Amino acid sequence: MKKMALVLCIAMTAAMVTGCSKNTDSVAAKQGNKEVLNPIRIWHDGDKAMIQLMEDHLNQALSDDGITVKFEQKSGLTDQIKLYGSDEVNGPDLYMYAHDSLGMFVEMGALAPITDVIDKNVYADMLPMTMKAGNYKDAQYLMPVYFETLLFIYNKDLWEGEVPSTTEELYSYMKNHTDATAGTYALVNQHSTAYNVAPLINGFGGFIINEQAKPGLNDKKTMEAIEYNKKFAELEADGDYNTVNALFKDGKAAAIIGGPWLISGVKEAKINYGIKSLCDFKLPNGNALVPYSGVQGVGVMKHAAETKKEAVEKVLKEIADPQLGIDLAENSRCAPANQKSYENPTVSKDEMIAAMRKTADIAQPMPNIPQMSVMWGPTESLLAAVNKSGKELNNVADEYQKQAETAIADMQ
Amino acid sequence: MNKKNKILPWEYSFPSIMLIGLIVVFPIIYTIYISFTNMNLYHWTDYEFIAFDNYRRALTKLDSGFMSALLTTIIWTVLNMVIQILAAYLIALGLNAKGLKLARLYKTLLMFPWAMPAYISILLWRVGIFNPQYGLLNKIRSALGFSSMDYLSENIPAFISCMVLNLWMALPFLIMMMDGALQSVDNSYYESARLDGGGWWAQNLYITIPSIKPILAPSIIMTTFTTFKQFDIIYLLTMQKGSLTGATLQTVITYAHQNAFVSNNYGLSSAVSIVIFGFIILFSLFVNRGIREEHV
Repeated sequence: MKKMALVLCIAMTAAMVTGCSKNTDSVAAKQGNKEVLNPIRIWHDGDKAMIQLMEDHLNQALSDDGITVKFEQKSGLTDQIKLYGSDEVNGPDLYMYAHDSLGMFVEMGALAPITDVIDKNVYADMLPMTMKAGNYKDAQYLMPVYFETLLFIYNKDLWEGEVPSTTEELYSYMKNHTDATAGTYALVNQHSTAYNVAPLINGFGGFIINEQAKPGLNDKKTMEAIEYNKKFAELEADGDYNTVNALFKDGKAAAIIGGPWLISGVKEAKINYGIKSLCDFKLPNGNALVPYSGVQGVGVMKHAAETKKEAVEKVLKEIADPQLGIDLAENSRCAPANQKSYENPTVSKDEMIAAMRKTADIAQPMPNIPQMSVMWGPTESLLAAVNKSGKELNNVADEYQKQAETAIADMQ
Repeated sequence: MNKKNKILPWEYSFPSIMLIGLIVVFPIIYTIYISFTNMNLYHWTDYEFIAFDNYRRALTKLDSGFMSALLTTIIWTVLNMVIQILAAYLIALGLNAKGLKLARLYKTLLMFPWAMPAYISILLWRVGIFNPQYGLLNKIRSALGFSSMDYLSENIPAFISCMVLNLWMALPFLIMMMDGALQSVDNSYYESARLDGGGWWAQNLYITIPSIKPILAPSIIMTTFTTFKQFDIIYLLTMQKGSLTGATLQTVITYAHQNAFVSNNYGLSSAVSIVIFGFIILFSLFVNRGIREEHV
């Protein structure tokens, strides 16, 4: 009995220790046959229906080549790629994600430029903005699929007259149509969220962080934009994501600045909505609002570029197919990265997609340098201090600029 | 005990020791190891030993806000614990009052905040109670003719709001412990006290509190540590990414999170963690010594 107990103890310990071991042998080296190229695994954290559509499209198109593509949803994709990005056995071959994490993955050494596997002609038809988003240190790392920008979404039943074309007219309208005591607003916006204030900052010629990774929170033009945003913030309710959405869906706000991700909820709330591109609003300096754009693109892991080059090349070519963009636009209302997709009348006539396409000519891709990941905190702290705590911008801008510089220095 | 009998218990408990080692000890040792390297985004796989560089930087950081975060944490812990112990004691006394009807129902209802997942509770309070547009507090204010107020935009109201929520979430545990402890006190002590003319105060001071103190000590220590390292409430109420409220409250743990873990510099983050770990160990030694002296 005692011996049996001891044997069990040893077996449990051995199982525990070996369970933690990692298989690092290359699958290709282990099996030495062509089958190991399948499936091409793409990690993502996107919408299930949309990803299923992409998977079906790719598998149908690549069936003659004997290539199978398998999308795998991963929550916390950034952390997963940090852990498994360079792991040929347990990690993905490709990944599909927003472009702003690109610099981080490249610096970690997980990605290969897509030009290692495909010719530049493959992505010649992509919108320049989407290509810029996937470019890091002069190398192209992402094949863009679709993009998103902020929009001016309004309730046609509540909005009186035409939607203005300047921010000053918009402000006058807000002053005349906002009654905070009664809980009704002309426009709501996440006024202390960096992404939502970026259209003003960029429009004023300021910046949150520039290409040389210098924070611009105390830059004169950034400060002008933040000060200008403040007068709007006073009429835009709390600015919290849940609050502004609820106000718009409850019919207590006539308009909202938000992304295409809001539309399904707006439809469910049976709001008779209209959409206007943010670049149709002119600032007092004559410039248009310049929102950030977020581009969803596909990147190639270094190991896949070496061991599965042919298969990856074919997959990327199919991803660049304008028909995939059309399918995504028709089924999921995504704004395709491929300009040719807009030749399809269903795509070009979709009000929301058309507004985003228009904005794409002027929108700035979110910075994709790794330092951007530590800029959201100080920027939003500065915005909250000014808009919510009533702090004087001149007194706090330097403090948060210093905080941002420290955060960037801490990365090294 | 012969040699075989001395070894045998170790052999039986070896898997458990291994498991504890892997889950508890290994991460601590690994964190210490990482803290001596330059492991960060730019040296993800090719990191090197850099001796005490990260500790030098971590200690420099202590000047820039750590001490005020530590002070806030101490005030937070002391205030919460004093109020919690007093409130839980009074409520537990009430629940044990003779003749109280539906006592079990009240006890079940009081457990509710404790049973709810913390994340849900905090978001419910954030939107349902404190929100300037939809919150209950502002609904009451506007019904009384006052203007709306943002309870989370300034440090002092935000601190009080966080404390109220912490009390709501943490009180049930102490009430349950005190309720159990109160039921273990022999009724004959109270009968004797009453015969000797002892009133409510005397009974509480000389019978109830001394009787329940040894039973409650572990629960109070546990709650003190939970309060000291509270993160969820302050983070989710005031500093959640994309929903900052304007308050700049920092406790030791939120400070560590903000200054170390968003940077992807694992070497520096580990060094900051180890320094904070040291502070918590010192705090625990201080608390344990206080309790031991009281027992002596």
